Amino acid sequence: MIVIDAASAVPPFEQLRVQLARQIQDHTLPVGFRLPTIRSLATDLGLAANTVARAYRELEEAGLIETRGRAGSFVSAAGEASRERARHAAADYAAVIASLGLDLDEALAIARAALTATRPAS
Amino acid sequence: MTSSDERSARAWLDGKGLPDAPVTDLLGARLAARRQARIADALVLAALIIVASLAQAASLNDSWSHRLVLLVLAAATAGLLVARLLIARRLAAADRRAGATLPRRAAHAVKPGWRVVLGPAHAAFGLATLGVAVALGLSALTVSDPLVRQGAVILLVAVLGVAAGTAVQLRQLLTSPVVAEDETSLTVDVIMRIEDARESTSPSVLWTLPVVLLCGFAPVWWNVAAFGAVVLGVAALALIHARTPASLATARQAMIVR
Repeated sequence: MIVIDAASAVPPFEQLRVQLARQIQDHTLPVGFRLPTIRSLATDLGLAANTVARAYRELEEAGLIETRGRAGSFVSAAGEASRERARHAAADYAAVIASLGLDLDEALAIARAALTATRPAS
Repeated sequence: MTSSDERSARAWLDGKGLPDAPVTDLLGARLAARRQARIADALVLAALIIVASLAQAASLNDSWSHRLVLLVLAAATAGLLVARLLIARRLAAADRRAGATLPRRAAHAVKPGWRVVLGPAHAAFGLATLGVAVALGLSALTVSDPLVRQGAVILLVAVLGVAAGTAVQLRQLLTSPVVAEDETSLTVDVIMRIEDARESTSPSVLWTLPVVLLCGFAPVWWNVAAFGAVVLGVAALALIHARTPASLATARQAMIVR
């Protein structure tokens, strides 16, 4: 399910992007799954087509979905590669933390602050 | 929402197995629109039966030429088809208006397709009912009596009109936007689609038309086949009702992507 709250401070395209990205990452939407068309989803959610198109574009840029011409947009297998990349980056970060001798709580706080700064809350 | 609308919305939710779901203005408006649409659709289908019967009566009396009767019937059937399309559009417009007032909108990542909304069993039953009605019309065309053949042509025109109207309504049901604000109203939206689809494919008119138009004129074998088809159809429909999960269960299943 996707919910868009018009009263939220988060822009609708970002609400949509975050929810779809989450559902792709937790495999609620499996690899190869065909997403609704931009027009159909926009009508269902009471959004402008451009808003949905922007969310899809950003998901595509993140490698989570791919557009196959007129066939539509599909959950990309590259989503798994993105996850693997994130794991590698986390391992690199853990190595840096160990070399600096920082404790776990501080390391997590730094990571949380960095994540919060780059990803607006949904 | 009037207290009567509220009561009927409460009864509807209870009947669907959602006693804890709140009665909202959205639900009240959508159910009221559906009640009006169903009455209008029933009147249109009744008008089709009456028009087909009048066409048959005109053929029997030789008051009008057969070609003119068919022309008038075809025009009336097309008019009734347009009326059914307008009813479906009006219902979708009422849903859209109700949806426009919502501060939050919810939708499926996977829009329910025909397998959820109508279901293979009901789809097969609808196609079989249509096939039997067409087969009865075509078989009556082989009879040497010109009155029976004229009735068969009228029957085929009316049956095709009903089929086209049903197709139009089902297309509208499958493509019309979801109107929901949360998980409960999203479930209710699917239930409404399922019930609308089952209502659209209700076989009553396709069972009625052959009997109304040709019984009494057609040979005994045809009458036996027409009544036999109805009896078998009733048995099949009872079996489908018994075996098909409740619309709530189907709707909840549709909420799970995989």
